[in-house]
Amino acid sequence: MKVSLNDLVKKFPASDSIAVNHVSLEINDGELMVFLGPSGCGKTTTMRMIAGLEMPDSGQIKIGERDVTFLAPKDRRVAMVFQNFSMYPSMTVFENIAFPLQVLKLSKAEIQQQVNDAAAIVGIGHLLKRSFRQVSGGEAQRVALARAMVRRPEVFLMDEPLSSLDAKLRVQLRTEIKRLHQETRSTIVFVTHDQEEAMSLGDKIVVMSKGEIQQMGTPQDVFFKPDNVFVANFVGTPSMNIFDATIQRADGGLCVDLGGLTQPVPAHFPSVSAGQAVKWGVRPEAIKFSAAPSASAVPGQVELIESLGSRQEVFVRAAGKLFSVILDALLPVRIGQSAHLRFEPDSIHLFDAQSGLSLASKPQPKNS
Amino acid sequence: MRKPIYQPLLIYALLIFLALLVVIPLAAGALTAFKPQIIWISSPPTWNFVPTLENFEFVLIQRQNLLHLRNSLIVSTGSVTMALILGIPAAYALARFRFRGSKGLLQWLISLRMIPPIVVGLPFYVLFQTFDLRNNHFGLMLAYLTFLIPLVIWMMRGYFVEIPSAMEECAMVEGYTRLQALRKVVLPVIAPGIVATALLNFIFAWNEFFLALILGGRETSTLPVAAGTYVGRARVEWGNLFAINLIIMVPVIILTIFLRRQLTKGLALGLVD
Amino acid sequence: MSTFSQLRFWFYRLTQKYTHWFFIAPALLTLLLVAIYPIVFSTGLSFFRVTFDSLQRPFVGLENFVYILTDDDYLKVFANTLLYVAVTVTGSFVLGFGVALLLRQITLGRNWLRVILIIPMTMAPMAVGLTWNWMLDPLFGLVNWFFTTVGLPIQTWLAQTATARAVVMLVDIWQWYPLVLLIMDAGLAALPRAPYEAARLEGASWWMIFRRITLPMLRPVILVALLLRTVDAFRTFDIVRVMTDGGPNLTTETLSLFLYRTAFNFNKLSRAGAGATIMLIVISIISALMFRYLYREVEQR
Repeated sequence: MKVSLNDLVKKFPASDSIAVNHVSLEINDGELMVFLGPSGCGKTTTMRMIAGLEMPDSGQIKIGERDVTFLAPKDRRVAMVFQNFSMYPSMTVFENIAFPLQVLKLSKAEIQQQVNDAAAIVGIGHLLKRSFRQVSGGEAQRVALARAMVRRPEVFLMDEPLSSLDAKLRVQLRTEIKRLHQETRSTIVFVTHDQEEAMSLGDKIVVMSKGEIQQMGTPQDVFFKPDNVFVANFVGTPSMNIFDATIQRADGGLCVDLGGLTQPVPAHFPSVSAGQAVKWGVRPEAIKFSAAPSASAVPGQVELIESLGSRQEVFVRAAGKLFSVILDALLPVRIGQSAHLRFEPDSIHLFDAQSGLSLASKPQPKNS
Repeated sequence: MRKPIYQPLLIYALLIFLALLVVIPLAAGALTAFKPQIIWISSPPTWNFVPTLENFEFVLIQRQNLLHLRNSLIVSTGSVTMALILGIPAAYALARFRFRGSKGLLQWLISLRMIPPIVVGLPFYVLFQTFDLRNNHFGLMLAYLTFLIPLVIWMMRGYFVEIPSAMEECAMVEGYTRLQALRKVVLPVIAPGIVATALLNFIFAWNEFFLALILGGRETSTLPVAAGTYVGRARVEWGNLFAINLIIMVPVIILTIFLRRQLTKGLALGLVD
Repeated sequence: MSTFSQLRFWFYRLTQKYTHWFFIAPALLTLLLVAIYPIVFSTGLSFFRVTFDSLQRPFVGLENFVYILTDDDYLKVFANTLLYVAVTVTGSFVLGFGVALLLRQITLGRNWLRVILIIPMTMAPMAVGLTWNWMLDPLFGLVNWFFTTVGLPIQTWLAQTATARAVVMLVDIWQWYPLVLLIMDAGLAALPRAPYEAARLEGASWWMIFRRITLPMLRPVILVALLLRTVDAFRTFDIVRVMTDGGPNLTTETLSLFLYRTAFNFNKLSRAGAGATIMLIVISIISALMFRYLYREVEQR
């Protein structure tokens, strides 16, 4: 079912500081929408308002065509999976999954049937008789998923459901959630601070900071066309190389002066003017690295190398600045060797230094 | 760093000495409760006797202490039950909701524990005379609520804080009201905490002396008040006195051994955490 | 939207916004009735002349306060109580903290020793007083029996000015050092291990570790223990009532006992009320100061 948030505002009750500041967005039916942001950015509060666990100070929430803004959580036909809670410890796995069905006044046989089905889908059919103490953390989180599924909710809400699991299990469950979503085409809102999780799961990603939406779009949009410095910085590991710069006049055209380094202004920034203070950015993956000098390449020296497994992050000091560059792990690189960096105009980002907004015109640069 | 060999021995010697300071008076007193009357006052005390229950029989039946035991049980259970019913919801709210003034309210509630009994005892005495609540079980229970409710809130809040709020929120999303969620999901988990709180509060109510002394009367005085009547007599009936003493102390000592882990929580946690 | 569902919305909104008050109100109202109203009543009482036989209460202003603050006996008892607080709080704190530290040095039998040591704290003060009355009895008590066995003279411990005060304080410490022990033991158990391991690697002495690591980290817990003990010692009634009833010659009389007597033996209800009000003010100031210090301490961490 479609979910629409219209101008939601929420203040923290004890301090009056703003948790969610005029948030409006639409989640389409069958979409997996990820709320991404650092802790305290308002993503969880927004989700809790959709669930009915918090009441907005103003604004409206609709699920489908129903206005649920002030409806009790139990009447919203949503299901939620929590970060730090998975199973009711006083009940067995079966009783846990049956718990949401008990209010619906179904017959014993029906409950049995639905619990079995849901348990089979998440792969815990053999654990039904176990108690809380007898299941692992990953299994308990599957119980939570099954419990969310049995009610056939109109919207699934998932509040960092994987963050308490260890890395391997997290990836495995993430894949299963993705598969589940593709099979059922249900509407899912997924909150996380882990941008890799957001990238791999989301049909769309909403990046939030300080209670406000910074950008909403597909994972590609958010990664390749960040709307502002915050998104550029927050999305992607290692994060984008960003340096302060000014626009200068240079033989007939404009160029970006990074201080000791001058770069051309790419064509997709037609609105910049001379003297403007900007931030100049390039992703570590987009930098062309070569040991041999070439025209228009910036010479430098390798200062530090960190292995990332199949890739390596190489720090190059060039024109007095430290650039992070991602290279294939098999490429032989030594500390101290000379390096030459080339920046493709298409992969350059410019942001206004004051507002932090991207200066790119639409359409924006293609994949680097 | 090597410790000298005698150090643990010294530690044990000191601790055992302190333990004996507890065990000897209690054991000697307990034995006296089983001594026949003729050797109560033998000097030095003699330990060679045939144990008898005649002291207990005498104080419980002849001296009407069966009635006082009943009073103690009624007042303690009654006041603790009331304190739990009133205090647990408040503890829950103070653990879960952050609202303007919630921190100050909690501190204020905790500080009520500091009121000296004389400050409330006097007005209670006057007011209870007006409202005919003196010498009345219910009146004494009310008076006990002044210190029992803060204690319940103090302890139970600690237990609620340990339970993730997502537990009842999850149940609320899954089709239950908050009260249903609390009953079906939180109550089973928090039950041991309620038991510990109830028992510790019972100890406090059971031991209370001052308010029972001024607010109780002939029919409602509790065991500590009854034991107090032995004080200052020219010829103290030690055997009888220790029989009462033992009836007061034994349940508490059993509870203490049973509750030793939760004890700290009830006494200090509200401030330490 | 229909009017009915609109009403339902508003009702739900209201109950949601004030849920916490529905939970807190019963306890809060009860406490207003059984704690705050009596305090106000008692304070009010102290501005009138009230006895148990005449409740018609002529207003006398500050007369009761003036009387009680110039009463030699009251001042003497106030001084007594302060001394009592100072000695028993210090004594129970030093002993309780010391034993808590010692208990952490051993493993064998630790839990049983701890349970035995905390028993006095959970006993009715009434029962504690009676037990020690008997222990200290000049004729049949174990203490004097022990004294005669080792050749010392028999003492009438509770009847002599010289010993009564010390003995009552010792019994108070005996009953209440377990509280400090329990709190400090929990505090010590909650300390992180890493600073100790680091300090040991750096070769710090036992005393340095204690002064520089243990004490600073324990400060909030120490404050709690001191606060609870101070407030409790200030209102001592039961033990003194049972052991000496304030005698001999008021040397062991505490404020609570004195005010009790003023009200119930001498029928000066409002004078006792004035005394109780002063006592409440003093306790409030002490605990407010300690509370404030404590919370500043906790927030700084």
